[in-house]
Amino acid sequence: MSSSLLLNLDKTLFQALSPPLFSISNARIFLPCRRSGVGVVGFKPRASRDGFEAEALPESKTKKKSRSNGGSSKKIIFFGSAPPPLSEERGGGAGNGSGKPAPEGSSWVFLRRAFKRALAVLSNLPLAIGEMFFIAALMALGTVIDQGEAPDYYFQKYPEENPVLGFITWRWVLALGFDHMFTSPVFLGMLILLAASLMACTYTTQIPIVKVARRWSFMQSAETIRKMNFADSLPRASIQDLGIILMGSGYEVFLKGPSLYAFKGMAGRFAPIGVHLAMLLIMTGGTLSAAGSFKGSVTVPQGLNFVIGDVMNPNGFLSFPSESFNTEVHVNRFYMDYYDSGEVSQFYTDLSLFSLDGKELLRKTIRVNDPLRYGGITIYQTDWSFSALQITKNGEGPFNLAMAPLQLNGDKKLFGTILPTGDPDSPNVKGISMLARDLQSIVLYDQEGKFAGVRRPSSKLPIEIDGTRIVIEDAIGSTGLDLKTDPGVPVVYAGFGALMLTTCMSYFSHSQIWALQDGTTVTVGGKTNRAKLEFQDELNRLLDKVPELVAVDQNSNG
Amino acid sequence: MIFTTLEHILTHISFSIISIVITIHLMTLLAHEILELRDSSEKGMIATFFSITGLLVSRWIFSGHFPLSNLYESLIFLSCGFSITHMICKIGNYKNDLSTITTPSTIFTQGFATSGFLTEMHQFEILVPALQSQWLMMHVSMMLLSYAALLCGSLLSVALLVITFRKNIDIFCKGKGKNFLILIKSFLFGEIKYLNEKRSIFENTSFLSFRNYYKYQLTQRLDFLSYRVISLGFTFLTIGILCGAVWANEAWGSYWNWDPKETWAFITWIIFAIYLHTRTSQSLQGTNSALVASIGFLIIWICYFGINLLGIGLHSYGSFILTST
Repeated sequence: MSSSLLLNLDKTLFQALSPPLFSISNARIFLPCRRSGVGVVGFKPRASRDGFEAEALPESKTKKKSRSNGGSSKKIIFFGSAPPPLSEERGGGAGNGSGKPAPEGSSWVFLRRAFKRALAVLSNLPLAIGEMFFIAALMALGTVIDQGEAPDYYFQKYPEENPVLGFITWRWVLALGFDHMFTSPVFLGMLILLAASLMACTYTTQIPIVKVARRWSFMQSAETIRKMNFADSLPRASIQDLGIILMGSGYEVFLKGPSLYAFKGMAGRFAPIGVHLAMLLIMTGGTLSAAGSFKGSVTVPQGLNFVIGDVMNPNGFLSFPSESFNTEVHVNRFYMDYYDSGEVSQFYTDLSLFSLDGKELLRKTIRVNDPLRYGGITIYQTDWSFSALQITKNGEGPFNLAMAPLQLNGDKKLFGTILPTGDPDSPNVKGISMLARDLQSIVLYDQEGKFAGVRRPSSKLPIEIDGTRIVIEDAIGSTGLDLKTDPGVPVVYAGFGALMLTTCMSYFSHSQIWALQDGTTVTVGGKTNRAKLEFQDELNRLLDKVPELVAVDQNSNG
Repeated sequence: MIFTTLEHILTHISFSIISIVITIHLMTLLAHEILELRDSSEKGMIATFFSITGLLVSRWIFSGHFPLSNLYESLIFLSCGFSITHMICKIGNYKNDLSTITTPSTIFTQGFATSGFLTEMHQFEILVPALQSQWLMMHVSMMLLSYAALLCGSLLSVALLVITFRKNIDIFCKGKGKNFLILIKSFLFGEIKYLNEKRSIFENTSFLSFRNYYKYQLTQRLDFLSYRVISLGFTFLTIGILCGAVWANEAWGSYWNWDPKETWAFITWIIFAIYLHTRTSQSLQGTNSALVASIGFLIIWICYFGINLLGIGLHSYGSFILTST
């Protein structure tokens, strides 16, 4: 390996190659184009391909000559002093097993064997594909079956007398835990199996492939080069020119004597390993989230406060409360923004955090898409409700009337309250009803239920209903907050970042090119793992650029 | 008012240009390929791209938010995505294979979007609070780009399957009117272009072996091309899903909620991950992987339309039934 030379554009090639192969220094004329129209597509039907290649090449004699030389190509290798570069680090992963003898006895050997066998089974590609299909099917089923309902719901929806698709009854659904698919043992078990497959595949398949790909392997026989997916031979060309041209288009070029090896896009080989590791990282993070998070949700009227620790519920066995749970949250203000059409454009809650001794730690106005984060706790704006209506009745008050949510079909909200008129203790209380869709406007109805008017809380405009003079002073909303701590998020985000990066890198194609100078003919072969069409086009284009040698001095030194 | 006129003009321009492009494609199918025509169809694709982009940009300016808040806008963006896919793959210096997929896809999505069926959606939508985030741009545009690329790629795979399937049929009906059959098929799959190109080279070889070799080459090209386009779409899909997860962690309180749309996006991801894995093994390549990609084609449509039609889950905006969260 030491004798192989990495070509650098600023280094002159001919100095580096101490015994020059041919006396090419001044016998060369650069032609802009090598030969036109020999963009031969390298596909498999060898017979036909060779057929028209021969047609296309004008000098079939040159070709023949190179063929005959190809047979005895071993003699033409001038720099045989260097050992064949690459076969020494054979079997990094595979050699492990036999490398260390196991003195502990048969159980150890058995374990080791079982482990190897498990690895082999798990890294089996069809198995992994089957696992992925199965997981996809389970997830699809999870969206078809309504999740998280009470058992009665499934008794009705999947009755035993009339099974869906002939066999799906509630017994199946409940026994397999498909009413909570994404936490069911079947699904989680499949995920674990998939994770095991990921690890096994990375260890037994991907890493060895990369190890092989990383080696610089020169090819010493024109026959093997010709057997590549893409192969071509250039009569009257020099391998150095080819090297320079390849370097110019981003290849790493290695040249040793008459043989050349070039590659590009090694990242495309590493990236799939990265994808697998990132997936594992995300799975780890997800497990951490499931096991160690706290969740809570609370509806707080404006002006009130709560302690974080009181509303948080542990999610899993690793959920440990943190210091910051002893923090008091005060809702300073809750308000909404509206579009001109009257629809809500945004919800805002002005929150203050106080330590238990009453010191203000943080104040922030949160909204949807902009949560508050403090000490590992995140507070989200998720919901709202109408807490109370503050009115004055005939100049008395103000009274607070609690607003009750009214059931409506659809997801529009409606709140209502009643202001009793007359004796509140009598059996049939009558009163003034007030309804509101949002905090903006209140609709009032009189005792008979007839529409009386609309008032905005901000206007302070009095309204007379059945001799009662009512002023709506204020509408007090309550904010719906979700709280959570999630120790898995940093891990998951790291996994996300890695996954994005490695998937992008996986788009690169690892291309390898081998070439062998054989007399005046250069045989070029190459392969790539992804972009096969682009590779062919690119290589055809590059080979067209290789200058033709005119009047080569045939008395080469070798 | 001025905006409506502008929108009309732009949609009509893009629609008519793309119709012309398709006509050119059909003409090149029937007649010898004329180089200028192909050039002009390329230019037509670029012009279409610019007028669709102009439409989206004008919507953006007039509505004040990123134009991806309802189905109409997302369909327009999808057709824009098709033309982007087309142009990206042109950079990769392919021959004309992909344009037979991208141009009809563009015109169909655009036609569907501008058809009378969705007219009431042409107005601007107000953005519900959950959508008011910078992530909207990143997440939704990435998802739609990935849909466009994946749809193109899986359609190529479907074409591959059809061709392979027809080849098998052909073996059974050997002998009767073969040349005619071949000609028909050539017309069907746009093979005549290559037929013209390669005729000179193959003059000496027998017709039968030429046909097999040619067909082999075509399926290979389709195979490679669909692999490439699907890899591109997969990259976009990954970025789109992950951006969505980060956004969900900002807006909904968790990066993954097993919401139906999320779940189906993940299923799509898994299906195309399976496709990419089938490509790594020699024995599963070709027809098998094309089969997986065809399944993926259906799954994308379920993910894009099906879930919204059902109107379940948190992703209820941008559907036929317009509701706010």
